[in-house]
Amino acid sequence: MLKILIPSMFMLLTTWTSPFKQLWSTILMYSFLVATLSLTWLAMPTDTGWFYINNYMAYDPLSSPLLVLTCWLLPLMIIASQNHLAAEPENRQRTYISLLISLQIFLILAFSATEMIMFYVMFEATLIPTLIIITRWGNQMERLNAGTYFLFYTLAGSLPLLVALLIYHSSMGSLSYLSLTSLPLTCSNLYADKLWWMACLLAFLVKMPLYGVHLWLPKAHVEAPIAGSMVLAAVLLKLGGYGMMRIMIILDPLTKELSYPFIILALWGVIMTGSICLRQTDLKSLIAYSSVSHMGLVAAGILIQTPWGFTGALILMIAHGLTSSALFCLANTNYERTHSRTIILARGLQMVLPLMATWWFLASLANLALPPLPNLMGEIMIITSLFNWSFYTLILTGLGTLITASYSLYMFLLTQRGPIPHHLILLEPSHTREHLLLALHLLPLLLLIAKPELVWGWTA
Amino acid sequence: MNPYILTILLFAMGLGTTITFASSHWLLAWMGLEINTLAILPLMCQSHHPRAVEATIKYFLTQATAAAMLLFASITNAWITGQWNLEFMSYSLPTTLVTVALALKIGLAPLHAWMPEVLQGLDLTTGLILSTWQKLAPFCLLLQINPSNTSLLLILGLASTLVGGWGGLNQNQLRKILAYSSIAHLGWMILVLQFFPSLTLLTLLMYFVMTFSLFITFKVNNSTTINSLSMSWSKAPIISSMVPFILLSLGGLPPLSGFMPKWLILQELTKQSLAPLATLAALSALLSLYFYLRISYAMTLTMSPNILSNALPWRLPSNQHTLPLAITTSLTICLLPLTPAIITLLTL
Repeated sequence: MLKILIPSMFMLLTTWTSPFKQLWSTILMYSFLVATLSLTWLAMPTDTGWFYINNYMAYDPLSSPLLVLTCWLLPLMIIASQNHLAAEPENRQRTYISLLISLQIFLILAFSATEMIMFYVMFEATLIPTLIIITRWGNQMERLNAGTYFLFYTLAGSLPLLVALLIYHSSMGSLSYLSLTSLPLTCSNLYADKLWWMACLLAFLVKMPLYGVHLWLPKAHVEAPIAGSMVLAAVLLKLGGYGMMRIMIILDPLTKELSYPFIILALWGVIMTGSICLRQTDLKSLIAYSSVSHMGLVAAGILIQTPWGFTGALILMIAHGLTSSALFCLANTNYERTHSRTIILARGLQMVLPLMATWWFLASLANLALPPLPNLMGEIMIITSLFNWSFYTLILTGLGTLITASYSLYMFLLTQRGPIPHHLILLEPSHTREHLLLALHLLPLLLLIAKPELVWGWTA
Repeated sequence: MNPYILTILLFAMGLGTTITFASSHWLLAWMGLEINTLAILPLMCQSHHPRAVEATIKYFLTQATAAAMLLFASITNAWITGQWNLEFMSYSLPTTLVTVALALKIGLAPLHAWMPEVLQGLDLTTGLILSTWQKLAPFCLLLQINPSNTSLLLILGLASTLVGGWGGLNQNQLRKILAYSSIAHLGWMILVLQFFPSLTLLTLLMYFVMTFSLFITFKVNNSTTINSLSMSWSKAPIISSMVPFILLSLGGLPPLSGFMPKWLILQELTKQSLAPLATLAALSALLSLYFYLRISYAMTLTMSPNILSNALPWRLPSNQHTLPLAITTSLTICLLPLTPAIITLLTL
C-alpha cells in the first residue's frame, strides 16, 4: 500500500523540482509507473477479506478496482491537460499538476481507509483540489457559480454524515470497517433513528448524484477543464457509491423500508436525465446528464442490498468511469479545435477526423451498454436484481435503457455523421497524444470483457 | 505614535490580561479587565480620524457597561455568599449575570452589535489585537465559573454561529467580514464550554492562529475591501496562492487545521446527546464558508491566466515582516494530523 502512496507523495516533489523542459514527460512517466504498480492490487489471492492491512489502510475486492481506476486516471489526466496548459506560465503548470497529484493522494487514502472518520476526512479533502481546478482553470464565467454549487451541495450533505458517524461511534465504540460487520445492529423504531439513517446516506446520495440533488453535477462537469471533468466523472462520483456500499452494513434493517423513495427517485432520475440528454445543445452537458443517468442505476442497485445489485453497481461504476472519462476527452478534442461546446457547431467529423470517429463509435457503444462490454454486465445485473425486488421496476429500467441507447446514438450520429459544415474543413488533424489518450481509456474496458472477476467485488 | 507611549500602552494591555489570569478575587479580575480596556483605547484612536474615534467610543461604552455588570454581579455574589472567590459562584443570578457580561465583552450574539462597527473603524493591526488578545481575559474568566444554566451558553453559542454566518453574507468590507467571522468562531467556543473546557481553549488558540494569518495577509496587501484584493496576486503571488487554504481552514474544511476544533466540538456535543444542536451548528458553518469562498474567489481563483504587463499597481519596496505570517499560515494548513497530540496536551 505504501509503495504506491509514498511515490505519489514524492511525485509532488518531482513536479516542483523537475527542469521545466522535461516536466510533462517526467511526470507522465512517473505516474505511469505508479499506475502499473497499482495493477498488482487487482491480484486477489482469496475471494473475501482484507489485504495488505496496516493500522490505517487496507483494501478489499470492493476498493481495489476503484483504487486501480484512480491510479490509472492520473497519467490520462496529464496527457489530456498538456495542450491547454501549454500557454500558461511555468509555475501555474506546476501548480495544476500538483493539484492533480494531491487529488490522487487523497483518493488513494479515501479508498483504502479502514476507519470511517478517515474516509470522511479524505472524502471532504478531495473537494478542495477539485474546487480549485474548476474555479481557477475553468473557461467560462459560470465556473464560479459551479464551484459554489459543487462545494455547498456536497458539504450540506456531508456535515450531517459527520454527526451521524460520531453518534454511531459514541454508542458503538468503533468505526473501523474491520469490526463493523460484527458490531450489533441498531434496531429501533424511533424517529431519530430514521433521521440518523438519512444523515448517513445523504452525503453519498448527493455525491453520486441522486436525481433530486444532482444540480451541482452538470454545472461542475461542464465548467471544469478536461482533467477536472475526467476526475469528477471517473472517480469522484464513485466515492459516493463506495461510501454507500461501506455504510450499508450498519444501516440494516432500517433500509428495508426507508430506501423505497430513494430507489424510486433514482430510477425516475434515470429516465428524466436520459430524456434531458435528448434535448441538449451542449456536448459536455449531455455527457454530464448521462453520468447522472448511469449513477442513478448504480444508486438503485446499491439500495436494494442484494449480491447481484452490489456486483452490478461496482462493475457499472468502473465501466462508467472509463467510458464517461473517454467521452469527456472526446468532447475536449472538439473543444480544443472549435473553442465551443455546442454540438451542432462540430458536426460530420467522420469526414475530417476518421480515426477519431472510431473512438467516438466505441465510446458511444460503451455508453449505451452494448454486449459484451462490462457496461452491459453491470446494467444487466442491476436490472435483474431490481426485477427480482419488484416487477414494476422493469418498466422504468427498460425505458431507461431505451432512452440511453437513443441519446448515445444521437450523440454519435450528430457529431460524426452527416455533412460537414464549411467552417470545419480545415480542422487541425488528430494528435497522436489524443489517440493514445482514448486508447488508454478504451483498451482496459475492452480487456475487462475477458476477466470481469477483477472488478466485480466480493459478493459474486 | 511615540514609541515610549506605545510601549506603555502595550505593557499595560499585557498587564491587564495577566492580572485577570492570575486573579482569584473578583475585584482583581475586574481591575485587570478595566486596565486592558483603558490601555487599548489610545491605540484605537491614534489616527484621530473621526471614524476611528467613533469606534473607540463605541468600544469604550460597551466594555464599560460589561465591566459594570460584572462588578455588580460579583458584588451580588459577595453579598449572598460572603466571599469573593472566582470559582465558588453557586447561585444562578450572579452566574448568569457574569456570563451575560462576559458575552457582551467578547461580542457573542445577541450582544454582538458593536463588533462589526468597532472593527470597521480600526486599522488592521489594532483590529487584530482586538480580535485576539482582548478575548483572552474574558475567556479565562468564563472557563473558571461554573455555569448555572445549561441552555444559556448553548443559546449564546448557537445564536453566535448563526448571526456570524448570516451577518457576514452581505458585506464587502473585509474588517466587517472578519468581525462576523470572529462572532461565529466565538459561538463555537461557547458551545462546548460547559462540557469540555479544554476544547474551548483549543478552539480559541486555533482561531488566533487562523485569524492572525488572515489579518496579516490583508495588511501585507494593504486592502480593506474585497475589490482591492483582486490586485494582490501581482504584489505577493505566493501569499495569494495560500489564502484560499487559510480561508477554507477558517471555514472548517478538512484536511486543514480549522477542521480540528469543529470535529472535536461535534464529537463532544454528540456524546452529550445534543446531536440536533450539533447538526445545526455544523450547517451554520456553511453560511460563513460562503463569504470565505467569495473572498478567495476575488483574491486567487479569478487570477488572470497570463501575466499582464499592464494594469499592475505600483510595487513599492516594503519591509513587512512576513515571518510570523509564514509560521501561522503553515500552522493553519498543516496541523490536523497532530490532533491526538494536541488533545493529549490540552487534557493533561
